[in-house]
Parts: sequence; structure tokens; C-alpha cells
Amino acid sequence: MLRSATSPGSFWTLFRLEAALTSLALLVLTALPGCSGGEAAPRPTLELTEADLAAVTAEDLNADAATQKADGKLQLEKTNLKLGFIKLTDCAPLVIAKEKGFFADEGLSVEVVAQPNWKTLLDNVISGDLDGAHMLSGQPLAATIGFGTQAHVITPFTMDLNGNGITVSNAIWEQMQSNDPALKSPTPPHPITADSLKPIVQNMLDTGSKLQMGMVFPTSTHNYELRYWLAAAGIHPGMYTESDIGGRTDAEVELSVTPPPMMPATLEAGNIQGYCVGEPWNQQAVAKGIGVPVCTNYDIWKNNPEKVFGMTREWADANPQTSIAVVKALIRAGKWLDETNADGKLVNREEAARILSGDNYVGADFDVLKNSMTGYFFFQKSDKREMPEFNVFFNHHCTYPWYSDGIWFLTQMRRWGQITEPQPEEWYHETARNVYQPEIYLAAAKLLLEEGLIEESDVPWKTDGYKPPTSEFIDGVTYDGRDPIGYINAHDIGNKDK
Amino acid sequence: MAYLEFDHVSFGFGNGHDKYPVLADANLAVEENEFVAIIGYSGSGKSTVMSLLAGLLHPDRGTVRLHGDQIGPPGPDRGIVFQNYSLLPWLTVHGNIELAVRQVFPQYSTEQREDWIQHYVDLVSLTGSEQKKPNELSGGMRQRLSLARTLSMQPEVLLLDEPLSALDAITRATLQDEITRLWSQDKRTVVMNTNDVDEALLMADRIVPLTPGPAATFGPSFPVPLPRPRNRATLNFDPEFKRLRNEVTQYMLSLHESHEDEQSTGVSLPDVQPISLDKAPSIQVHVA
Amino acid sequence: MEQLKYSLLKAINVSGLTFLEPVVRLCYGEEPREQLRKIGRFILIPAATFGLFLWAWAAIAPVYKTKSGEVPTPSVVYSAAQGIQDFHNRESDKEAAYTLTAEDRQAALAKTEADLDVVKDLREQANHQVNQAQAAKATWLEEELGPINEQYAALKEQFATDQKRREAALRNKAAGISQTDLTGKNELLAYIRGHQLKTEEEAATLAELEEERALLAEQTYPELSEALRWQTELAEREQYLQKKQEILSRSNRELKLAEQNEKLQTLKREYAAASGPQMLTLAEQMLQQEERISSIAASEYAKPWTLPMQIVRSVACVFAGFFLATAIAVPIGILCGVSTTFMAAVTPFIALFKPVSPIVWLPISLIIVGGVITDPDDHWLITTLAELPLIGWLQINPAFIASAITVALCSLWPTLVNTALGVASIDKDHLNVARVLRLSFFQRLTKIVIPSALPLIFAGLRISLGVGWMVLIAAELLSSSEGIGKFVWDMFNNGSSATFAQMFVVVFVVGAIGLLLDRIMIVFQRLVSFDGAPAAI
Repeated sequence: MLRSATSPGSFWTLFRLEAALTSLALLVLTALPGCSGGEAAPRPTLELTEADLAAVTAEDLNADAATQKADGKLQLEKTNLKLGFIKLTDCAPLVIAKEKGFFADEGLSVEVVAQPNWKTLLDNVISGDLDGAHMLSGQPLAATIGFGTQAHVITPFTMDLNGNGITVSNAIWEQMQSNDPALKSPTPPHPITADSLKPIVQNMLDTGSKLQMGMVFPTSTHNYELRYWLAAAGIHPGMYTESDIGGRTDAEVELSVTPPPMMPATLEAGNIQGYCVGEPWNQQAVAKGIGVPVCTNYDIWKNNPEKVFGMTREWADANPQTSIAVVKALIRAGKWLDETNADGKLVNREEAARILSGDNYVGADFDVLKNSMTGYFFFQKSDKREMPEFNVFFNHHCTYPWYSDGIWFLTQMRRWGQITEPQPEEWYHETARNVYQPEIYLAAAKLLLEEGLIEESDVPWKTDGYKPPTSEFIDGVTYDGRDPIGYINAHDIGNKDK
Repeated sequence: MAYLEFDHVSFGFGNGHDKYPVLADANLAVEENEFVAIIGYSGSGKSTVMSLLAGLLHPDRGTVRLHGDQIGPPGPDRGIVFQNYSLLPWLTVHGNIELAVRQVFPQYSTEQREDWIQHYVDLVSLTGSEQKKPNELSGGMRQRLSLARTLSMQPEVLLLDEPLSALDAITRATLQDEITRLWSQDKRTVVMNTNDVDEALLMADRIVPLTPGPAATFGPSFPVPLPRPRNRATLNFDPEFKRLRNEVTQYMLSLHESHEDEQSTGVSLPDVQPISLDKAPSIQVHVA
Repeated sequence: MEQLKYSLLKAINVSGLTFLEPVVRLCYGEEPREQLRKIGRFILIPAATFGLFLWAWAAIAPVYKTKSGEVPTPSVVYSAAQGIQDFHNRESDKEAAYTLTAEDRQAALAKTEADLDVVKDLREQANHQVNQAQAAKATWLEEELGPINEQYAALKEQFATDQKRREAALRNKAAGISQTDLTGKNELLAYIRGHQLKTEEEAATLAELEEERALLAEQTYPELSEALRWQTELAEREQYLQKKQEILSRSNRELKLAEQNEKLQTLKREYAAASGPQMLTLAEQMLQQEERISSIAASEYAKPWTLPMQIVRSVACVFAGFFLATAIAVPIGILCGVSTTFMAAVTPFIALFKPVSPIVWLPISLIIVGGVITDPDDHWLITTLAELPLIGWLQINPAFIASAITVALCSLWPTLVNTALGVASIDKDHLNVARVLRLSFFQRLTKIVIPSALPLIFAGLRISLGVGWMVLIAAELLSSSEGIGKFVWDMFNNGSSATFAQMFVVVFVVGAIGLLLDRIMIVFQRLVSFDGAPAAI
């Protein structure tokens, strides 16, 4: 009986090395559900037929050129976008623009993708994996001037005002209360300054230790706000230097980077005694009973700019019309979020909180998100206050990319040594103009106005990009974006320039 | 000039001081179509002789010749059947033979090759077990497969390195007959290692003893003029056979004793000496 | 029949699912007592242990509470898994809604609107129920807290008067001590200390009561939590239906196409009517409009990644890394086994790189991939992969590739070492066979060396795949490459009350897939192994 070795009698002898590997490959392939990638439709060829000519009406013949151009639709360079965000309530404009169909109205198909941390988010935007993202105000500036990852990142849209808080551990809170008896009340007077914290810091320094506090990113608003709050009470939060990129030189309180979701757990573990972070992580501390929010950034600087929408210069140049379309949708989302009824009550915030509580968005419990989003803030379980402007998404012309906002962050970078060399005043203005792009914003706003989706008064059409000087800071120092050097020199602690 | 010869061959393992001399000045001549059995104690270097013949090892001094030419690297012309079969366990019976046939006769068409393989499968009575793997075969079947693989290469010289020592007595007897039958059908030169005097007498034309190592060498040949075919049943009563057996055994025992004397270094052993060619106890003399 | 039985038994043996063996044998009526005993031991006992584990878990979980949350019970974990599945289903549903056309779309819209009405009614009820439950809880709290509050107030008042009395007494005492009265002064000190101790004691008593009050206030009121859960569930359902309605009535592909086609027709008519330089602008607009229509026609609903999709992507990623590791490790391993010189040359690298953690490899591979693929949208590799039929939807991007490379770098070592060992420990006799047959180097490799080393290579591959699977989760987490790791990080970042339960779901999913991968490798390992093959390490 003759048998060929290549047609074995037993199934099991089939398997040689090659066979084993091919089978593995097949297994993978068959495991994937049948789903085809978006194949580009063949490009049709447009032709005019006799029928088209015959269909011409008298109306068409009389139409003037203006009406023919009236369809203001943008010619999008790219319709499928991937935008990144960090799980914080202030990503709301992005999520709302998607969920309420504002992106779809612009003909955009947008995927919003949660990012693990600010660094990865920025890297993904720079690498082109993301088309744009929810960013810390300092990020586009820092990237553009080359602090951290160097890349020309721009922002045509400010996403919100305020929204952060400083929380301290229960133990520190008790000590602060004993230092300042006024704090002992269940509803202590606000704003709470770091004055009552100073003796604690001094005490710890005397015993050879330093108070540790967390913030979320070196160029985040939280870092600057926490530093501002501490320095306003004469506590030195440490300088960044060429060799100390951790920013702890001369520090009386040491600040370290902790990702927002880790804040409550890190506080509870005792690695830090306080932190500055966005929502819902201050409210979580109250809900879990592990800390007390003492100060919101509304108290540190009333209506301070918080997050921006960032993208690379390169991307914006390659997709100018798409950039405008994205900003259009974002402006509408901001307006929707800040819509109020006749009593001045925010009407859409509860729905927004419901949407944000989705697992693929912010994902925190609805009850927790609802507090700050609907204008309340728990400082303690017994201390619920109304804070209608805790998150501002549209009012005060906040979505406009103000040069003066960018310059404030640059002054803070210089004040704390992230910008190591003194820079001339013109540099501040120029850098802000490089990063903040009101042109895109205004182009988007103009189209929205034409479409009747916003009102004339919603946009500061005639501004030069600088907000009027303000002294609504916790220490009362006046900030004028036109005079950055003067502002840097107005503070006791930090770098001073000539 | 002999067909296959060992000319003053010396061989040792290791280097320099650690060198362990296995063979020293060994001489052997095998004629064409002769069946030579090399008999010796285990560890005396029988397998080394085989490896030298196959070309798997090279002599330190002296030459191994075939047709008067020094032998080259191993090749299918000197087919060796290894002591422990050396079958490839991941291949079937068919596959093991096929590997050899494909290599030696690359010019064969598929059909020719298959016929050739089947011929050798049938020859060693493995018909029906073609698709079995070696681990599904008994010891005897494995040795037959090993034999078939070697024979399928059509070697000029067949080298059998203790082909039957790992088998039980009955299988061993069957295979002895089988190998003898194959040899008689297809006469070719055979060199076989064994430690069994009866086996050597039954199968070989000539018995060549190997003195115990180290530095072993070949002793005087004992021709076996018994007529073929040899019947193991009647052989036992053959006076010539008895004489030869006695002679060879006596010679081997004397070798053993002298060797022991050389080896003894003051340790007095009991007077009772086990008679043995292999691992101590008894000399293997089978009465079928 | 017998034939089938042996096939079954052989399959069971090869797949390593030996616990099924007694079941098959029992079906064929072979030694029923013995088989039943085996079934008891290998099926019932493990099942019972698992049951016991679930029971213990359900019993212990509610007891263990931390400030970060409660340990979820099995049922909570199960409902979290259902929630994940719901999310997936709803998103798939929305995806389908995007591409529905004509009557199908109308029908779906009508149904969605009907569902929405029902949900809205239910929500009214739910709100009502929540209000009732809240009121009930308030009354209950009132009842419970009332006596405690009274006690607290009474004690507080009493302590205050006591303190005042003691302070007055101390003042009197102080007044009666002259400047030189040392004993008197020391006595006063002792009194004051006593007073302070007493005051502290009283404060502690009050604090205890306060704690009791706080505990009561925090206690969950089952009816309320039940009502709230229902309310939340309905709210989520409503939101989903609203979005679906929005898609079906506004952003559906067919609708968008119709709208744009309408515009194109207008443009066409205008172009046909136009003459002179006007035609240029119109023609341009028309062509742009056409392009826009074709891009809409090809568009898909931007579906978020859901866990089932992420699982498939993770498995794809682990296999990508695993094949890469195999492609690197097996040839190098063979060279190591064949040549001691080569082995000596690469040993320092193996020793140096083997212990490096995935967390270190990942940023490095991210940088390398980022350097090679500077513009993911335009890179040929990414665009080619995106167009492949089965792989396209995985959206292979630099993060995926970097994760796969990380998996490969971490998991290639067991295969490499095992291959080298397998090749080096090849039976000398097999090599002698190769010499006698005068096999060429390549033939020796394919006919003797590799088959002989295969069992050990596969043992290594099995370990590699296991390591790769573990590494992958970490790599995805760090690179934010969509997959199980990203899911874990996202859910962790949510910090919601469901987070813990979702983590437990992931534990089971990851474990089950890891088990499955291991089983698959065992089957392969058994298929290539032969008697007397060198044992796995």
C-alpha cells in the first residue's frame, strides 16, 4: 500500500511549523468580526445634461451673483476628526458639540477620545494621531516656546472660565481652623487665603519637613493658581531653574504632579496634604470625606481663563476651513451650555451633566457632576454654596481667544522661572499672537451670525484682543495684559525683570 | 589489499594530558561481502570503531581505507545502524525512510520513490505501520525501521553498532534471523558490533575480538566456517560450533582476566569471579 | 461509534480538556462508577469551589468599605458587565441608525419616538417615586435623629454650665492664694489640669454623639437608592433615545445626502442658466459640492470604542506583537543554538534587555514609531492597513504599533531562550543521521534541528504569549491605544461608583482571554510534541 507523506492519513500529522503558524494567523483573522473599513467611494464625474439645461427656470436666470454665493457652507478639507479630551467637566463643549449634533451640522464626523494624561494628549496632537484637543491654557504656549515638548500649537477657542479648586486634607483644615477661629464656623467667610496655612508651613519647616501639595501639570492653570494662592500669603512655592525642572528651588511648600483622578487617593494616602485640581475631583474629596476645598480659582482670579481648544499650526494651515467648522460647533456648544431662562437659571446644565456622566466621557457619577455643573459647590458636607459662575462656557465673551489671557500665563511662566531668561515686552505680545488665533474664531462667529445661530452681542467683534485691566485677584494686584513686565514686577515672590 | 581496512589506527578522546586513548595501533582488514562481527566488552571501544568506519570520527594516527582510499566524511555509502536507532521521533515510519531516500536518490520520481520506500518497509515487515510514529512502535520494530532506513540507502558497507543489544531475547533472536536473511539475499559487506558470542557465531563469517580499553586493539580473528544457512536449533549440537564458542569465550575470558590484573591496584577482590563479557554477571550464551 | 469515541478522546487529550474525558467515557457506559467518581472530582469539586468563592465574595464584599468606595458584590459586577454590554448595543444601534434609509429610517424613527414617550412617562413616575422616597427618608431620619439631637443639646448645655462653674471655682481659688504660697500655687496647677482633662472628656462625649449622628445621616435608605437607580437608568435610556431620534431625524446619512444633493441640483440649474465669468465660481462650487457629497456617502457614524471592540483590538494587538516576537526570537534562538560564537555574541544583550520593564520600552517604541510614521494620515503603512477588509476597522495607528512592539520586546525572551535551548540540546544521534545523510546546512535546519526543537519552541511561545498578554494591558494603558488597557484607565479615571465593578469585569475578561490563549497554545504545543522531546521550562 503506497501512501504519500504529503497526504497523511491522520489529521494531526498536518501540523508542521508552517502549518501551526498559519493556523494561528487564521485564528486571528477569523476572530475578527466582519466589518470593512470605510472604502472611499469612487469619485463620480459630474456632467451637465440636456435635462439640466431644460430645467432652468426664469427665477434662476434672474438670480444675481450674491444669492448664488449665499450658501456659506465651508468646504471641508477633512470630515472625519478625532479630538482628544481629559476627563474633567470642562471638556463639556467638545462632548456637547458632538452629542447635540453641532459637529454633525457642520458636516463633521467627530470621535472624541479620552486621553490618559496631559502629556500624552499633547504628544498625540503633535504626532497627528489627534486632530485637536481640550488643552490646558499653558500647553499651547509652552509647546510653542519650547518648554517641554516643542511644537507650534495654536488655539482659536477658549473653552471655559474658572472651574478649579484647592483642597486640603482634614488634618490641615483643622490646623487652619485653629490658626484662624473665623474658619471654625460651618460656613466660614470666603475667600479663604493661605494666611492661616502659613503658620503650619512654618511649623513644618521648623521641624525639618515640607508641606506637600499636588497639581496636575507643570504648565497647567492649577500650578499657577496654587502658586499664586500660596505666594499671596507669603509662602514660597519654589522656583523652576535650568537644572531644577521640578520647580522646587527655595520651596517652602513642595508641589508635585499627580494626575487628576489620582488626587483624592494620593491625599488619602498622605503623600500630599493638599491639591489644586478641576472638577469633579474637589467634590469627590467632599463626598468621600477625605478633604476640604478651601478656595476655588474664582476667588483667586475672578473669571480666569481655564482650558483652550488646541491644534497644531501645521494642521490648521492644512485644514483652514475645517478649523473654522470645528470652532463654529464649539461656539454653539458653549452657547448651549450657558443658556439661561428668564430667571437666569442655567437650563441645559442638568442634561449636560447627564451626558458627561457617560462612561466614555467624564464618567463620574451624575450626582457628583451635577453639583458644579448646575452652579453649586460643596465646600464641606454642611457648606453647599451657590456658585453660578463656577463653570462659565460662553458668557463674558469667554470663548474668544484673548491675547491678554495668553500673556497672563506667560507672565506666570516667567515669574516662576519656567521661562529662564528675561524677555522684552514685545516678546510676550508676539508669542500670544503666535498662539491665540482670533482670526479663526471671528471667521466662525461671522458665519454663525449669518446663519442666525448667535447674536451680534455674543462676540467682541471690535476688540484688539486685550481685556481691560483687572484687579479681581485674591491679592488685589492689577493685571494689564499690555504691560506684562510691570505685572511680573508687581509681586513680592518670584522672578523680576527690568 | 583489503576491501575495508584499519591501518595502525589510534584514537583517543580529549586533549593533551586528559587524553583518553580508546584505540591504539589497531589493525583490521575486511574482505568484500564478508560479515565480520567485532566482539568486545562494553566500553572497549566498539562504537568508536564503528564511528571511525562511518567517518563520524577521524583517527589520530593511521588510516581507515575503503577500496584502498582513505575514507571521507560520513555518507550513505557506509550505512550505519545506530545502537539506539536514531530515528527522528517527529517523523512517521514512512517519513523516516523517505528522508533518507529523498537524500540519496534525488533523481527518483515520486512514484519510484514511493515504491522504493514501500519495498524496504515490506522488507523489514513493517507493512501497515507506515503512518506510525517511532514512539508507537516496539523496540524491535524501531530497530527494523532503523535497519530499513539504512538499507534503503543501498550502502556498500553496512555498519551495525550493537543493533540488538537493547532488545529482549525473543525479539533479538527473530531479528538475528532477519538480518542474516537480508544479508544472504543482498550480499554486501557487513561489520557488526556485539557482546554476544552466540550471536556472532550465528551471524558472522569471522569474529574479531577487541581487547578491553583503554588503548584497545584487535585480537586474532576467529573464522567461522559453519555452513549457511545456520539453524540455531541444530547449531547447539554442532561440535564445530561448540568448539568455536569455547575457543572464543576462553579467549575473551583470558583477555578479561589479564585486563583485571592490570587494573587491580591493591584492592583484593573475592576469589569468585563472575564470568562476563558484558556488565558483570554472566556470559551470554543462548541456547535456543 | 467506537471510532467517534476515540476521536473525541484524542481531541480531549490534545486540547488538554481532560476533565471532559470521564463524561465521554460515561456516555459510552465505560466503568460508570469510576467515571462518576472522576466527574465528581474534576468537575463538581471545581464547580463547587467556584460557587463557594462567589458566595464568600458576596458575603464579604459588603462588609469591606473604604473611603474610595465599596467592594462590589458579584451581582453588582454582573450588572456592570450588563451596563458595558448595553453601552455597546446602544452605540451599535446608533451606528445602524446613521445608515438607515427610506422606510426603514421612518419606521425606526416612529418606534424611537414611541419609546421615547414611554420613557418620558416612566421618568415622571420615577421622579415622583424619588421624591416620595426622599420624603420618607427625611421623616425616618427625623425620627432616628430626634432623640440623639435632644440628648446632644441637653449634654451640651449641661457641659457648658459645668465648665462655667468650674472656671468660677478656679478663679475663686486663685484669688485666695498669696504670692509666696508655693503649695497653693502647685495645687492650683493640679486643679487647672483636672479641669482641662474634664473639659476634653466632655468634648469627646459630644464628638461621639456627633459621629453617631453623621453615621445615621449617611446611612443608605434602600428605597431611595432603588428609586434613584431606576431614575438614572431611565435618564440614560432617555438620553440614548433622544440621540437616536436626533440621528434618525437630522444627521442620518441619507438625509444629509438628500440635502446636499438638493444644493447640487440648485447649483447645476444656476450653472446651466449662467453665462460669462460667473460660471467660473459656480463651476468651482459645483465641483466642491460634488466632492462633499461623495465624502458624505462614504462616511460612517463616529462610533466610540466599546469594550467588546476593544477586546478584539487588544487580541489583535497581542497577536501582532506575538508574531513579531516570534519572527525575531526564533531565528535568533536557532542561531544561538547552532553557533556558540553567536550565542556568546548576543548573550550580553539578552541578559541586559530581558529584565527591562514594558513601561520603559513603551516610550522608546513610541518615539521610534513616531519617527518613522511622522504623519499617520498619509503614511503608506497606516493607509494600507486601514483599507484591509478585516483589519481596517481596528484603526491601526502608531500607538497600536508601538504597543505591539512593546509586547514583542517584552515577550520574545522566553521564546528566544527556549529556542536556543531546544536547538542546543538536540540529540547527538539525530545530528549523526544528518551527517550520514549528508544534509546541507539548510536541510539540517529544516529537517532535523527545527522539528527537534519545536516542542521547546512552542513551550517558549506559550510563555511569550502569556507575558505578551500581561504586558499589553499596561502598554495600552500608557499609550492610550484603544484596547482593554485603555478601557481600564478610562474607567479608573471616571472615578464613578461603578468603577470598581467595571474593574472586576475586566479582571474576568482578561483572565478568560488569557486562559483561552494559553489553551490554544497548549493545543499547538501538544500537536508538535513527540515522545522523548525535551521538557518545557
